Amino acid sequence: MTDLAVLADAPWPVIGLSLLLLVAPAFAEPLRHRWHLPSLIAALLVALLAPTPAIAYSAVAVGALVHARAAWPASRTGAAMLAISAGLALAVAAALAAGELTLAFALSCLTIAMRAGVMPFHSGVASLCDRIPVVQTQQLASGIALVFVHLRFADNHAMAAAGPMLERYGAAAALIAALITLAQKDLRGFYRGTTTMHAGVLIAAIGAAAIGDYGAALMVTATMGLALVGLGMMVTSLEERVGPTPFSGPGGRVGTFPKLALAFALFGGAGVGLPGTAGFIADDLLLHALWMNSPASAIALILAAALLAVTTLIAFSRVFLGRTTPSRAPDLYPRERIVAATLLLLLILLGFAPGLLLEPSGALLE
Amino acid sequence: MIEFLRFALVAAVFAPLLGVLVIGLMVLLGDDRPTESRVAQVTGAGLAVSIIASLAVMAGHLGLIGVPLAGDVEFGAWLRVGDFVVPAVLLVDGVSVSISLFAASLTALIARFSRTYLHKEAGFVRFFTLLGIFATGTQLVALAGTLEIFFAGWELIGISSAFFIGFFHERAEPVRSSIRAFATYRFSDAGLLIATVATLQLLDTARFSALESAGGLPPLQSTAIALLFLLSAMGKSAQLPFSGWLPRAMEGPTPSSALFYGAVSIHAGLFLLLRVWPLLEVSLVARTFGVIVGLGTALYATAVVRVHTDAKGTLAHATLAQVGLILAEICFGWVTFALIHLICHAFLRLGQYLKAPNTIHDSHRLGHAEHAPSALERWSPRTASRLYAASIHRLRLDDRIDAAIAPMLALAGWLDRLDRRWRKAASLDTGAIEATAIKQLRS
Repeated sequence: MTDLAVLADAPWPVIGLSLLLLVAPAFAEPLRHRWHLPSLIAALLVALLAPTPAIAYSAVAVGALVHARAAWPASRTGAAMLAISAGLALAVAAALAAGELTLAFALSCLTIAMRAGVMPFHSGVASLCDRIPVVQTQQLASGIALVFVHLRFADNHAMAAAGPMLERYGAAAALIAALITLAQKDLRGFYRGTTTMHAGVLIAAIGAAAIGDYGAALMVTATMGLALVGLGMMVTSLEERVGPTPFSGPGGRVGTFPKLALAFALFGGAGVGLPGTAGFIADDLLLHALWMNSPASAIALILAAALLAVTTLIAFSRVFLGRTTPSRAPDLYPRERIVAATLLLLLILLGFAPGLLLEPSGALLE
Repeated sequence: MIEFLRFALVAAVFAPLLGVLVIGLMVLLGDDRPTESRVAQVTGAGLAVSIIASLAVMAGHLGLIGVPLAGDVEFGAWLRVGDFVVPAVLLVDGVSVSISLFAASLTALIARFSRTYLHKEAGFVRFFTLLGIFATGTQLVALAGTLEIFFAGWELIGISSAFFIGFFHERAEPVRSSIRAFATYRFSDAGLLIATVATLQLLDTARFSALESAGGLPPLQSTAIALLFLLSAMGKSAQLPFSGWLPRAMEGPTPSSALFYGAVSIHAGLFLLLRVWPLLEVSLVARTFGVIVGLGTALYATAVVRVHTDAKGTLAHATLAQVGLILAEICFGWVTFALIHLICHAFLRLGQYLKAPNTIHDSHRLGHAEHAPSALERWSPRTASRLYAASIHRLRLDDRIDAAIAPMLALAGWLDRLDRRWRKAASLDTGAIEATAIKQLRS
């Protein structure tokens, strides 16, 4: 009976979302490395259902090591980052067991910063984005579990003083990343910059959560996962069809790949707070939370989001708009379409009914 | 009956968006491109439902069907996290139902016009999808009960506007114009977002119906928020110094130009000011600034319109002049007069824009008027020629804005170089980046 109660109280929306994001790239591209998927799923389930922080953070560490193994052949930097983050996760578990709450909180934030790719800890994630975006999208999916584990075990009211500092740091990092994204000259650079900018937003949301606004952190994480996984998949799909995509001139691919263009635009839009998507809610929640503690951080984030929105439109226009470039490559395959449509519907669903994610997860975190 | 009217309110807002979702799924999941007639039917159905629902809401508001419906209509909480609640609330009053019906009717009219106008156009599906998004955006703006819902609609209008400007994307210029317009929108949207968050914190609510209590705010705070609202209105309504994007926006198809820059979107900023009037009313500084901007824009646009030679460009600046005057009227406090001016102006311009493609034909038929020297040309030919030169270059507004943002772009480039060095220093990877390194991992 007790076991059933534990299951009923489990964060099912977060579990469902993380699993979906983890499986999505493998479903869309069935030939790709599926070998590590079962172990990743197991690690994720253990992390989210674990009754104690030691088990949860250990499972997070195992997941990071599996990602590191997958990343190693293409990105040593990314693999090293993932291995270090695994070590940090174990250190958090040890610190929590020893009652060192401040240390555990700091280490947990550092783990999230590395996994999300916030500046200046973004070398690993940047390398994954550049060299092996599929692993990046999957490690982002299990990153959602990490954030939830952090909110559940490492975040506590004693750390409220650290909140405003994290908010300022995250907002500044997001603004700098948005400026850097503006200067990118190719699609991979755009994806890398977008990821780094979102990481800054996530850290600001973690800061807001430390003060008690966990809703912003949950929504920002969900949006980041859905939008960036979707965007990453579209970038990979496009590059497989046409090769590296510099912003040297109008790409003219919307006529050849209309479905890919539509999905790219919607994922990019959701990432910058398109109304009707989860991104809009995430921005709204975060800004309200930030304004109370640090209006300057809220303004910095608003400017960062505005810059990234303009950059996204520029990227879209450079890749897809212009005189049609003929290509024999097909548009999105049915499997890719199903995955893209599912992720987009989830983004829209959470935009209209954010309570589906926030209420069950919030009740558990409370 | 109240339940029916509540349903009608929701239908007025979301029926066009439902059409967009259906078309989006047809494009994304279908193997074939949806046909023109299917797309027009789906969009048309959404817009028709929106009009019927708007009519029902207006009838309900006037008391023609049951008890008159007025004030905030609650739909529960859109968002609830602990104590923080964003209510889902629509506002029913004379202004909102009029604007709702007005926008729904004009959008449906344009949809019908465009079905023929854009027949066999490559972007037919895109046009109608964007039209559905725009229709939902305008309904949200018209009926919003809170600033958050208003902002959602405002953003949808901005996004659809940018994509309409870049509609003929095979040419470089429409794409550039679209990015410029979108950047202006986003900059001014930042003002609206900051004002929204600040209003919520200071008044503990972002409901329009509660803005009456704004008079109790300290003058500095009310002035700052009013100036932020004014900034967003200036961007959306192309007031100085943001006027440069409007003539560029004429790159879009004529029906969308008529709907956006003649009738609805260009007036959205003014509608925002009418909605937040209680805040604006208590800030003399913001109102004075608004009068100066409005009259300045009217003068600027009048000077430019006299030297312009293309039909849509002339119409754009003529629109700008009237919008500037309406802004000044609002800031003078002539709110009802401004609302009447706004609606009459929107109808006039819609007709003129739709007729713009016939202008050359009309011009041939009617002939040109002889140019008679103006009073300024007679009084000071030198001043007149300088004014002519300034007007023909539109005061080099775009160049000045480009110069203003150049340092930011330089900073972005410098940060990028710094970032590359940092990543290189921290990298363990050897060899060049392989764009398709993933292939190594295929089983």
